[in-house]
Amino acid sequence: MFADSSMDKLSPPYLKDKGAKLVVDAVSVEFDGLRALDQVSLEIATGEILGLIGPNGSGKTTMVNAITGQLIPAEGRINLAGYDITGLPPRNIALLGVLRSFQIVRLFSNLTVSENVESAAVAGGLSRRTARRRAQELLQEFGLWDYRDQAANALSYGDKRRVEIARALAADPVFLLLDEPAAGMNEVESDVLLELLAELPVQRGIGLLIIDHDMRLIMRLCHRLHVLASGRTIGEGDVDTVRRMPAVVQAYLGSDAYA
Amino acid sequence: MSNTRNIRPQVLLTVLLLILPLLGLALVIDIIEVNLAERITTLLYINLILVLGLQVYMGNSGILSFAHIGFMGVGAYASAVLTIPVQMKGLALPDLYPVLASAQFSPYVAMIAGALVAATVATVLSYPLMRLSDAAAVITSFALLVVLHTIMVHWSAITNGPRTLFGLPKATGLYLAAFSACTMVGVAVMFKESRTGLLLRAVRDDETAAAAMGAHVSVLRWRGFILSAFMAGLGGSLWGHFITSFSPSAFYLKETFVILGMLVIGGSLTVTGAVVGTVTITVAFETLRITENAVNIAQILPMRLVGLTEIVLAIAMIAILILRPSGIVRGAELGELAVFQRFFTRAMHAKSTIEKQQEESKL
Repeated sequence: MFADSSMDKLSPPYLKDKGAKLVVDAVSVEFDGLRALDQVSLEIATGEILGLIGPNGSGKTTMVNAITGQLIPAEGRINLAGYDITGLPPRNIALLGVLRSFQIVRLFSNLTVSENVESAAVAGGLSRRTARRRAQELLQEFGLWDYRDQAANALSYGDKRRVEIARALAADPVFLLLDEPAAGMNEVESDVLLELLAELPVQRGIGLLIIDHDMRLIMRLCHRLHVLASGRTIGEGDVDTVRRMPAVVQAYLGSDAYA
Repeated sequence: MSNTRNIRPQVLLTVLLLILPLLGLALVIDIIEVNLAERITTLLYINLILVLGLQVYMGNSGILSFAHIGFMGVGAYASAVLTIPVQMKGLALPDLYPVLASAQFSPYVAMIAGALVAATVATVLSYPLMRLSDAAAVITSFALLVVLHTIMVHWSAITNGPRTLFGLPKATGLYLAAFSACTMVGVAVMFKESRTGLLLRAVRDDETAAAAMGAHVSVLRWRGFILSAFMAGLGGSLWGHFITSFSPSAFYLKETFVILGMLVIGGSLTVTGAVVGTVTITVAFETLRITENAVNIAQILPMRLVGLTEIVLAIAMIAILILRPSGIVRGAELGELAVFQRFFTRAMHAKSTIEKQQEESKL
């Protein structure tokens, strides 16, 4: 009687077809008159990794919030494989296959590690049994199997980050937006994560958007980069091109000089 | 593989470990045949159903609900109207609508009906409230309790107004109460482990993250609230057919705080906590009541001792909230305690230790 929670399930399976695109078209976001994003456009295709970089306060997290429906853009459209998803509630966007992680880890702290991952699969419409099997695969893949019965709040920060990514993957995303996945990880943990993330687009056919300040990780992982500064696009293209752009160099050196 | 089975062994173990002592208690009480003990134990089971019902909503959603006892009243009155003998209805409920005045059902049918009426009322009333979180949700649930109470006091045709309604057939015995309570233990555990229960607990821990992975916050809460009201209605019907006469004041603040206190002290996160809290507070209450009576009869103090139970409950609640805010039982159900977990994973541990030793001996 209480077992079925797949109301309003929207997820069209053909979204996962190769070549599906998430298109952000001239999106602006305002907070009390302050323009956090100003006419930013970007595109992610399935099977690729896009790095979203920029100094602190440049609007990277705001972009993720706008795409996943936590914020409603003041102008511009967001389009998923031909569907206009602008202004949809976060839940519907998630069910359409756009999942995210958070800059500050948001796990379900009283749930076990396994339940955290299962819950995302269940939210996507799976039975508990199937969800548990999917969680088992993901936990083993992410090296979290030994912690499966521990409460999520008992884990180290780096492990929590991995649980959050495993949880998002359990919802079977078409596009996955990761907000600083390597923050708080040491170099070894970050390298392990890098390998896991690098395989995702090929293995699962999903498109990844990654925000991170760890340039080593970004340069090695991303196929393309999109650079924001003060809410505006100041550069985009493949890694080598972007790295040499004068505006990008200046934005980074400028912010570092003040830091 | 055991972990891909539909129900985890820990869950079954929890249900068994909670139900067996409860059934055992009923047997012992039945054998010793002391009227007072039987009465106290029957009320313990009825209170347990109410506490479990509150746990289903409050424990899994994390939202404090004051309205619970209001639904207990709905169940009690619905069941009363369906069971008071036709020849007594003229006296007990003179203004009752003709359709209902000629109706008389078996109390057992009426108990289920009482629970269903409470669930139906909750279904209709609560959906708009489910969008609220935190303080706003708590305050509206309190308002809902006041509204339900006011209706019970003023809807004379059904409730006999603020006066005592009498004439309910006595139908709730020790075993019926025990059996119902054990069933509800199972229901509460299964709900917690269901898809809705899992997602509701996710929403409780982080609403934003749960919505961002596709959880429908208000629908999940709504389902929990309806089941919770069903259990409150069942508890109310059982109580009505145990006590046989009552007035609306039975379903108001005093009972609300007793049930809430039991859950908060036991620990609202778990079904085990609900059981532990109910038993602990009942034992404490009865001990205090006996002490109070003894002191008064012996006239040790210059004045009569009154209100000891209320004062102690209040102090216990404050102490628990300060010292152990999540209650006596924190996060783990009985079947998930470390001692049993060790049992489930012993094989794995043993294996890894042997492997480690082998590696060390190689070095």
